[in-house]
Amino acid sequence: MLKPRIEPLRRLYRGCLVVLLISTAAYAQQDLEREGYFEVRSAATELLSGVHTLDARLQLVLSSEALQALEAGVPLTVELQLEVIRTRRWVPDSLDAELKVRYELEYRPLSQRYIVRNVNTGNQESFATLYSALNTLGRVQALPIIDDALLEPDKRYRLRMRALLNTQQYPPSLRFVFFWRSQWQLKSEWFEWSLER
Amino acid sequence: MVLRTIKRAAAFLLGATGVLLALVALFLLSVTAQNSDEFGRLNDAILVINIVGVVLLFLLVIGNLFRLFREYSDNVPGSKLKARMVGIFVGLVVLPLLIVFYFSVQFINRGIDTWFDVEVEEGLDNAVQLSRAALELQMRDNLAATQAIARSLRNTSERDFIFQLSMLRRENGASEVTLFGANNRILATSSDSSAAALPKRLTEEVILQLRQNRPFVSLDPLEADTYEIRTAVPFYSSSQAQPLGVIQAHFPVTSRLGRMAYTVENSYQRYSELLFLRDDLKGIFTLTLSVVLLLTLLASIYGAFVFSRRLVAPIQQLVYGTRAVAKGDFDLQLPQPTRDEIGFLISSFNDMTQRLAVASEQASLNQSLVEAERARLAIILARLSTGVVALDSEFRIRNANQASSAILNTDLASRAGQSLTDVSKEGPLVEQFVDVSMMHLKAGETDWREQIVLRGEVGRRVLTCACTTLPGKDDKPAGYVIVFDDITALLQAQRDAAWGEVARRLAHEIKNPLTPIQLSAERLRRKYLGTMEDEEGQILDRATHTIVQQVEAMKEMVNAFRDYARAPDMEFGRFDIENLVHEVVDLYRAQGMHVEIAITPDPSLGPIEADMGRVRQILHNLIRNAVEALENTEDAHIDILLSRVEIDGMPFCQIRVEDNGPGFDTGSVNQVFDPYVTTKPKGTGLGLAIVKKLVEEHMGSIRAENRKDGGAVISIRLPMTDTARESIIAKLPHLADQRRERA
Repeated sequence: MLKPRIEPLRRLYRGCLVVLLISTAAYAQQDLEREGYFEVRSAATELLSGVHTLDARLQLVLSSEALQALEAGVPLTVELQLEVIRTRRWVPDSLDAELKVRYELEYRPLSQRYIVRNVNTGNQESFATLYSALNTLGRVQALPIIDDALLEPDKRYRLRMRALLNTQQYPPSLRFVFFWRSQWQLKSEWFEWSLER
Repeated sequence: MVLRTIKRAAAFLLGATGVLLALVALFLLSVTAQNSDEFGRLNDAILVINIVGVVLLFLLVIGNLFRLFREYSDNVPGSKLKARMVGIFVGLVVLPLLIVFYFSVQFINRGIDTWFDVEVEEGLDNAVQLSRAALELQMRDNLAATQAIARSLRNTSERDFIFQLSMLRRENGASEVTLFGANNRILATSSDSSAAALPKRLTEEVILQLRQNRPFVSLDPLEADTYEIRTAVPFYSSSQAQPLGVIQAHFPVTSRLGRMAYTVENSYQRYSELLFLRDDLKGIFTLTLSVVLLLTLLASIYGAFVFSRRLVAPIQQLVYGTRAVAKGDFDLQLPQPTRDEIGFLISSFNDMTQRLAVASEQASLNQSLVEAERARLAIILARLSTGVVALDSEFRIRNANQASSAILNTDLASRAGQSLTDVSKEGPLVEQFVDVSMMHLKAGETDWREQIVLRGEVGRRVLTCACTTLPGKDDKPAGYVIVFDDITALLQAQRDAAWGEVARRLAHEIKNPLTPIQLSAERLRRKYLGTMEDEEGQILDRATHTIVQQVEAMKEMVNAFRDYARAPDMEFGRFDIENLVHEVVDLYRAQGMHVEIAITPDPSLGPIEADMGRVRQILHNLIRNAVEALENTEDAHIDILLSRVEIDGMPFCQIRVEDNGPGFDTGSVNQVFDPYVTTKPKGTGLGLAIVKKLVEEHMGSIRAENRKDGGAVISIRLPMTDTARESIIAKLPHLADQRRERA
């Protein structure tokens, strides 16, 4: 008489186990996917010939999805955002200048090379490996930021910089999808330092 | 009403806001689809707007659904129709929407799937491979050319490097050839570009590869559809085994090949991109369609509620209106919502209620007129001394006045609706009346007239009856009216008057010869008694004595007649009736009779205003009449009961003289007050007639009846005051006329 009662319980138990296993497997699979991250390791400015130039080191690690997209021929845009902020004592700081440098990273299947193109200047460079391309992207050297003459002489300025994966160039529908996916939300924290003059 | 309007306006506003938000969201979505830069900025707004719109519409739909459920449960008029309409609307909208949605999703998914084909994919792959093979061939040639340049320069002195390099560049078709020395220093360069641009520097990749003693060759895509082959080989001098530098050469890919390669690569890239985004695209389109479907669905359901409410509202108003009309409210005017058929219906309803209001007002006026007429008729009927009984066609009493109840000694006025036959069981008088009436009515006599004699415990009543028919539909009688009059008193009065005349004439005619007869008899006696023998004298003596005695008796009789006929003036005075009764009774007690006389006074009686002499005579006559009736009765006793009664608010003194004698003959109870009607051997038959005459002179009433346990009762009622007497005179017009004549 007890059997009919035990049987459903067993079924329930088995069902729970299956669900648990599937969930664990799904979670593990999700964990295997690389999330990717952008990080500004270091940044500094130097005044060269009256122009503040930037030297920076960035760690750019693409997520699995971004990588797949790149391999599938979807160009990725890495954007460096720089802000020159005038610090003020009693009122909020003023954003005096803003600079956005966009680099387009693209894989060309015919040549099997990765192209890094500076969208602002149009200069481009090809690389045999993604590593080389990202390494080159993450090494900013003597990037002119602002003319010192444009800054007020007695004021103090601070700079901040971050790198992000820009999806603006994609169609809205794709951006809508990318908006909800964390793997496409690659964005470093702001790296901030004082402007040496 | 105002609150309801505000609530409706708020609900409508919410609904409109929801729909508007949905439209705005869709519009923004379409705008962002056109302008990608707006997406990041508007995305949150679109999301919020969508959510707010959906929530608003959802809340409204839930609210409407709840309200409809409540109305349905409460059986609110129109709720069932509204539910049906909402169901139909929703069914009409939801089903096609879902079908469209399903097929749209299917179409989009299949459409996207059709973009991708294994053969196309393979073909593109092959095309890329082919292009690559073609280019690699050129790349190998170019690398070989670069190596040849390097070998040619081995024996060239540094001074001739530039010249030799230019010549070799031209010979090998390179666009740029540069010789790099130690530390990547440019030793010589040659370019086909006229612009004095700096030669392209060695990249780290090239340097690394050359360090591994491997020549470098790559295909670099330039802008648009141009490609460039870049080669780099170490440069050795003829004398040294170690490389002195690097020769880097750039070879252009022919424009035709470049275009073709670019086309193939671009197509492959687009295809790969679409392949990668296939599922996402499906999801996006499905999501967009779902959002649109959800918004449309909710808006449609809400619209179904709104439209059904609007459609049902006039019907609900009509229901409320008809209910109001059913309750008699004809002043209700429904607002006319539209100019369609329902508006026409409401207009007709309003017209109808308006006409009903007018008709009702007219009917009410007519009713009040009828009521007034009826009240007037009722007053007239109530004042009539003639009895009037109205019957319906089924012989049920419709109306009866007070006089009919008084005449028939049964309350007919309160028996409206009852059958005449049922009422007949109430008393002997009404029974006889009903018998006669029904005999005529059942015989089909609709108009008849008859004098009916009714016999009851209180005596005989003579009624003159007349019946007529009330006209009805189809020549059938609607009812009957029986009018009857109690003419007993009239007949009695006629009889009294006749008897009075007879008495007066008799008294006059008889009294005149009596005195000569008596004188003659006394003269005969006086003259011849002494002269006659004893025997003859005794005869004469007895004869004359008899004559004188009989003449005396006749004189008494004539005097009695005279008293009956004579009507001396009344002398009203105020006296205590109880004392008077005691006085009269004491006279009889003093005679030592065998009859026991008991008096039952009434402390509330008090003095009365009457002719004391006549009242004394009344009492004498009544008591003597009773005493004479009790002559042969054992244990005879007379009860005299005095009491005060109120009739129509006027005080009356009631004197009841009851005895335990043989009582009246049942047949002659009503005639005991007639002259010469007596059951006693010694009675003249005038005692009660005189009593009645005296009572009537006081405007009183007299009644004779038999007691149930044996014996007779004479009951008289005398007005106690002049006012009471005057009120009776006023009610009897013929008496008032008589008084005026006397005056």
